[in-house]
Amino acid sequence: MATVLIENLTKVFPPTANQPNQVQALGGLNLSITGNVLVAVLGPSGCGKTTLLNIVAGVEQPTSGSVRSVQDGVPAHISYVFQEPRLLPWRTVVNNMIFVQDRKSDRSRREAEFYLSMVGLGDVADLYPSQLSGGMQQRVNIARAFLVNPDILLMDEPFSHLDALTGRSLRDYLQKIWSQTRKTALLVTHDVNEAVELADRIIMMRPGGVIFDDIPVNLPRPRHPSNPDLQFLQNDILRRFDSMEAAVRFGVG
Amino acid sequence: MTDFSSLPHLPDSLTDTAARSVQKTQTAKPGGLFSRPWFLRLLAIAIIIIVWQLVALTNIRVPNIAEVIRFLIIEISEGTHGGTFKGLFWSPIGNSFMRYAIGMAIGVPIGFALGILIGTSTYARGLLNDTTLVLLALPSVVWAFLSTLWFGLTSEGPILAVVLTAAPFVAVSVSAGVRNIDRSLIEMCASYRVPLLRRTQHLILGGTLPSAITGTRLAFMAGWNSLIIVEWFGATSGVGWRARTLYNFQDYPGFTTWILLFILLIMILDRFLLRPVERRAFRWNEPPMLTFAETDDDSNASTNNSGKRLRKRQD
Ligand SMILES: Nc1ncnc2c1ncn2[C@@H]1O[C@H](COP(=O)(O)OP(=O)(O)O)[C@@H](O)[C@H]1O
Ligand SMILES: [Mg+2]
Repeated sequence: MATVLIENLTKVFPPTANQPNQVQALGGLNLSITGNVLVAVLGPSGCGKTTLLNIVAGVEQPTSGSVRSVQDGVPAHISYVFQEPRLLPWRTVVNNMIFVQDRKSDRSRREAEFYLSMVGLGDVADLYPSQLSGGMQQRVNIARAFLVNPDILLMDEPFSHLDALTGRSLRDYLQKIWSQTRKTALLVTHDVNEAVELADRIIMMRPGGVIFDDIPVNLPRPRHPSNPDLQFLQNDILRRFDSMEAAVRFGVG
Repeated sequence: MTDFSSLPHLPDSLTDTAARSVQKTQTAKPGGLFSRPWFLRLLAIAIIIIVWQLVALTNIRVPNIAEVIRFLIIEISEGTHGGTFKGLFWSPIGNSFMRYAIGMAIGVPIGFALGILIGTSTYARGLLNDTTLVLLALPSVVWAFLSTLWFGLTSEGPILAVVLTAAPFVAVSVSAGVRNIDRSLIEMCASYRVPLLRRTQHLILGGTLPSAITGTRLAFMAGWNSLIIVEWFGATSGVGWRARTLYNFQDYPGFTTWILLFILLIMILDRFLLRPVERRAFRWNEPPMLTFAETDDDSNASTNNSGKRLRKRQD
């Protein structure tokens, strides 16, 4: 069983050329995720979501605090669905997939093609990324993350660069593929719809990188966006954000 | 085992017609010969030849095309230009190409290694960047005098000049290529724990290859120029030496013929060796960096090596 344990995590970015003041991206985060759940971290743009995932992925170092990801006592194997496709433009789709596999074998190509077909891309294995639309590239990004058979799956707003219709169809692909694999997953998003449709638990974050609420979502899958329960939950979450904002404003002024 | 048929799809017909109409406006061209690159190229050559003939009419020292062809025939057949002065064709070309090949075979890999070093290590950059720029800025004629001084009238001088001219061209473009590799792709490799060797091979080298090839093309041009100049001043064989000998004899048709041969040889090399290699390296559909690489027949930069247009698929 995979666990992500985050304790007192802070991240402060020093001033940069186009940003005269230092920025606190994460302000003392505590979070524990265990088991075959999909957890969404929901918050507005700039509240530190990408920074959080980068630190969990080990791409960025925390200023203080700790992150541990373990699978049965050993460091967990992590994969990352980025906000943009991040494919090597000079490698074909299937070679992009095989590129991140830890061991290469005769089965590599077949495995890659299997996960491509899982996201409806059975016939583009030998094309270059530039030959695919943005939505198709993003599906490759998702398939690649499942291919490496991770213990923990990180997803950074994987649908935010897509138009609404394409994003919705990709969400259905993700629900389907996640339901079959049930990887421990951390999805960050600014989209309330997306969070209620996909998550088992929603963690709400506000600017400055602070968690202010944490609610379970006990609704059966597959979920459809028109489901009234989802609508109800969505309104509830929006109300929580409103009262948080009011409280912050009251606290400051 | 898995049923994918129930997965949602966007209507194919919708996006497909959109794609097709875009294609139509792209391929539709105004008719007429003047829109054809090959015709424009022929036209340019014709204009150059006509202007040349007009200049030849008015200036006694400029030979016309007939004189050049007559001279060329004697050179190729190794006949006599009058008296004991014999034609020479294959040996100057052979000598020059031998030096050129050796020089490029040494200079391009050195430039590549330097470029990777300068691109990846800040120490190497501090140490080597200025040296590379100095080499790039140094006129070839300096190599001619230095190499004559060091080696006398041998082949080592011209070869060294080719190496020292070609390497910095390759180094500069390779280091730029390395530094331009997308940081987000490096992050991607880090988060997936892609092994260093594979990362170097497929991210660093793969990402650098196009600019490396563009730089190599430039290096081939510059190396050839440099070779001819060094041969002109400091050699007893080769294309540059032959052109100088004829110039000294005030044989203007001969001199002109060899200058034209010099240009023609590098153009043939570029067209039939370097450009196909470059097109292969760019087959994943990034337009080449040099604009003169795009003047290719009726096609444009978005063709791959088999001439097929890379067509974007839609969701
Ligand atoms: N490399 C960086 N250097 C400086 N500031 C950064 C850097 N990365 C992010 N930030 C800042 O940290 C804050 C949080 O950024 P981010 O984690 O990208 O937010 P989100 O993903 O929620 O939109 C933002 O104010 C952003 O400007
Ligand atoms: Mg972000």
